[in-house]
Amino acid sequence: MKKLNLISILLVTLIIASCGGKSTSILPILGRQEYKEVNGKLDTIYHTVPDFSFVDQDSTEVTEDTFSDKIYVADFFFGTCPTICPVMKQQMLRVYDAFKDNPKFGILSHTIDPGHDTVAYLKDFSVKLGVPDNNTWHFVTGDKDDIYEIGSAAGYMVPVGEDADAPGGYIHSGAFILVDQERRIRGFYDGTKPMDVTALINDIPKLLAEYE
Amino acid sequence: MTFLNFWLSMNNRSGFKVQGSRFQVYLLLVVAFAFTLSCSSEQSENAKVQERLSMTELQQFTSGKKIYKQRCQNCHMEDGEGLGKLIPPLKNSNYLLENLPEAVRSIKYGLKGPIIVNGKSYNQPMPANPNLTNIEILELMIYITNAWDNPGAEIDLGVVESVFE
Repeated sequence: MKKLNLISILLVTLIIASCGGKSTSILPILGRQEYKEVNGKLDTIYHTVPDFSFVDQDSTEVTEDTFSDKIYVADFFFGTCPTICPVMKQQMLRVYDAFKDNPKFGILSHTIDPGHDTVAYLKDFSVKLGVPDNNTWHFVTGDKDDIYEIGSAAGYMVPVGEDADAPGGYIHSGAFILVDQERRIRGFYDGTKPMDVTALINDIPKLLAEYE
Repeated sequence: MTFLNFWLSMNNRSGFKVQGSRFQVYLLLVVAFAFTLSCSSEQSENAKVQERLSMTELQQFTSGKKIYKQRCQNCHMEDGEGLGKLIPPLKNSNYLLENLPEAVRSIKYGLKGPIIVNGKSYNQPMPANPNLTNIEILELMIYITNAWDNPGAEIDLGVVESVFE
């Protein structure tokens, strides 16, 4: 009986600890780290998203400066995608609806089929999706190699590319990538899973809180 | 031998806990009951489908739901509502319910170009599913015409086969 009590006390403590800890936790900094010696001290250099330049649905140039005072969520899609894109966009709409009025937050959706998804197409696509302007959510196109490069290990670290065998002709990750103001990656979430996206919606305020 | 001893001693030790674990079982039952109650509204929705469909059709409805999940749900969504003005709804969709042969055809061969659904224009290509058999298409049709409070439809294998003749 004593043992049972002890176990239940332990369990309750564990539950309280796990619940209480979440609200104050700091999101991890992801990606390969490098160390550099500066004045005899060891500095950690984190993986960051490199400079970029794309054009969004309103023909505005979108660069790293667009997000210099924002945290943002990035993803990859293409307009005629028959597989996971629609459900990703449905889930990204949840994120958009939750944070669209916050000037410190943005969304960056890259098309991986710039040949088809022109600026005009992206405008039509985004309006039909329910995104009337580019204030928060940028749907960008650009040079194909640049887009694949920024998706690769040098940038957002997700699989993106052409594949004749894949439905629709392209493969891409369903990941939503959370990026901080220093362009460091702070989280990967499966954009096809509502539970994962709920986790993202819970994590965004934590990251925003770091800059308050 | 040692294993048997260990097992016996474990059983003896747990003798004390019997009272506690029985209580836990009761608690679990109460919680489960509460859950069933809270879900009862969903059951009444399904009850209509169960009333409407025969035993065989109910099985086809269930198989159709599986196919829907694999091939349709990513775009038309779990609730059949579609996506904004990009992907049309199947729930309460006149395009689906008022022209069954056209729906059967587009499941197999896909769609391209603008269509009007419930008075709104949609223009997103729909991929073809050439590998689906007539029976699978029937199962899918029974699911999508009955799910999400849709009213059901007069459809059997004959209707599907006549589309592809």
